[in-house]
Amino acid sequence: MYTQLTPPRERISKDAVKVWLIGETILNAIGFLILAVLFYLDYRYSWKAWAGWILKGSTIILILGSLWTFIHPFFLYKSWRYDVSEEFLQIKSGVLVERHELVPMTKIQSVATKQGPLLRKYGLCSVTLTTMGSSHTIPALPQEIAVQLRSQIVQYAKIKEAES
Amino acid sequence: MRKAERYNPLVILFQLLKLVRNSVFFVVYLFLIKAGSESSFIVYGRYLFFVALGMSVSSIIAKWLTQKYRLDDRSFHLYKGVFNKSEWTVPFSKIQNINRHTSLFHRLFGVTSVRFETGMEGEGADVSFEVISRHEADRIEAAIAVSQSQALKEVSSAEPVGVGAEEIPSDETESTAQQRTVHFTPTQKDILKASFTSLSFLVLIPVIISVYSKINDVFNIEDKAGGFVQSIWSSKWLFAVIVAAFILASMLLGIARTFLKYGKYEISSDEDHIYIAKGVVDKTTFSIAKERVQAVELQQSVLKRWLGLAEVKLISAGGLKSDKNVGEINSLYPFLPVTRAYDMIAEILPSYELTAEMKRLPVSSLWIRLLRPSWLWVIITAGLYVFQPRFLAWWILSAVLLAIVLIARWLGYLNTRYILHRNFIQMKTGSFATTLFVSRRDKIIEVKVTQSKIQRLFGLATIGTVNRAKPVHRTGVKDVPLKEAQAFYNWYVGRTQEIEIE
Repeated sequence: MYTQLTPPRERISKDAVKVWLIGETILNAIGFLILAVLFYLDYRYSWKAWAGWILKGSTIILILGSLWTFIHPFFLYKSWRYDVSEEFLQIKSGVLVERHELVPMTKIQSVATKQGPLLRKYGLCSVTLTTMGSSHTIPALPQEIAVQLRSQIVQYAKIKEAES
Repeated sequence: MRKAERYNPLVILFQLLKLVRNSVFFVVYLFLIKAGSESSFIVYGRYLFFVALGMSVSSIIAKWLTQKYRLDDRSFHLYKGVFNKSEWTVPFSKIQNINRHTSLFHRLFGVTSVRFETGMEGEGADVSFEVISRHEADRIEAAIAVSQSQALKEVSSAEPVGVGAEEIPSDETESTAQQRTVHFTPTQKDILKASFTSLSFLVLIPVIISVYSKINDVFNIEDKAGGFVQSIWSSKWLFAVIVAAFILASMLLGIARTFLKYGKYEISSDEDHIYIAKGVVDKTTFSIAKERVQAVELQQSVLKRWLGLAEVKLISAGGLKSDKNVGEINSLYPFLPVTRAYDMIAEILPSYELTAEMKRLPVSSLWIRLLRPSWLWVIITAGLYVFQPRFLAWWILSAVLLAIVLIARWLGYLNTRYILHRNFIQMKTGSFATTLFVSRRDKIIEVKVTQSKIQRLFGLATIGTVNRAKPVHRTGVKDVPLKEAQAFYNWYVGRTQEIEIE
């Protein structure tokens, strides 16, 4: 992929794995809780047979899905690379599908750092870049690095292409 | 510099008519259908209706009184607000395309409506004049054209324009108006072809069927009464004549409809703009600066492929779908002969180079396409198995569906073509209907290469581009050789050498 470009080398924070794991666990717990309530209602009000089948089916899917969400973060962390140069933002990520993205700096419209409660716990930030049509997020960077990256991108992105 | 002006007073009338049109439903419901009703819901509904009507009318008038606009050399200044005053500026340089629509109402009063689209989000995304005199619309368009071509010159030649800014406008507008060349107006043959392709001659068929079944009902009743009518109906020639008459009427109607829609089509261009005009009763014109064309698409449905026709679409950053009732007009005539379409792209967009030589996919990408699980098929087969249809065995339906899926994939493989040609990219995709996408490297705002595990096994990858449009236009080709995907990535890196920095 990279004969003219140096491949992206910067990695995201290792704590990203923990953040993802905790986030996914919470989501899974909510999912199972909802299912449990539905199973109880099914039992209590003896719903039609097909409702039971759907519930059983979704339980299997949820179990398989939650197994995957416990493995996925480790691989995702391993696969994540990004880099910012004067000309391009490069992103490489993805476990089952590896995606390489190339965004010219001149097309970036805004940069934002965000921090939810989980990220804050580990002193991390996510950096979101918006272009004219899409947005790209670098999920978890140590706070200082994120702020530094943000101001660096702002510097690079100041240059605008002539629109004609 | 002019003073801020009010919009054309006819705006009030136009909006009042719109209000009347929108309130017809309520009037019919509250005062006709429920005319005698004394239920409190209806009674209060009527009061509410009058209050709402009064508020709408006064807001229309208040808006006209408070909304103003002003132009200077470089931008629109818009003022609005009854209680909260607001003012904003829309620079001409941000305007992507211009849409002018003249409905019957506008024609009656000799006015028109114009919308200038910027492709931005939120307030001030477009500057629109619902009613404006033709003269004023021309003046604004000319002012924009001048400012944009000046900006172009400043970019292309680093030297500042030597002539005083005030002298340029009059010269420029006159010269551009003269140099306009017309590239296409449909002939009668084109319209016939178009009406056939758009299948509009079929509009009467449902009518025919329902009328026929009704006649049949009547005829059955009379059948019992006596044999006289039946003898007429059973005579084959009379039946044939009636059917033929219906088909003829249906075709004529279809042609008339097509004529109203596509009859007065005109594609023209001058040095730096493209103009498309259409419509016989409701006239719409669309203009876009050539440099603002983000990409070109050539679309062909199955029927169009058989007849050798194509639709050429210009992709612009300012949303191209205008109002629902106005319809789309980013399309150069939708029923162009293919060769003419290619020529015309070359004529009106000289900066675009189309090449007929394109690369095909390797055989391995046919295999990967055939092997990829079809979720549609899996889900429908599961559904068929569970619900066991009565008229056919579920596995026959499932097999037929699988065959269709595989044929579509095979066709998709056959139709897919791509090429990187200097600073152009061409991608053709689609199984039954095809789309050929052409864009320039500097107009593509980002690229993506993805590779799934199974693609890695075959040494293939998927490439994708994003272009400015509203919403953004994504295009891509699946299952190209990894080498080509790498070449594509590096090709895009090369854009840094050709872009101009502001």
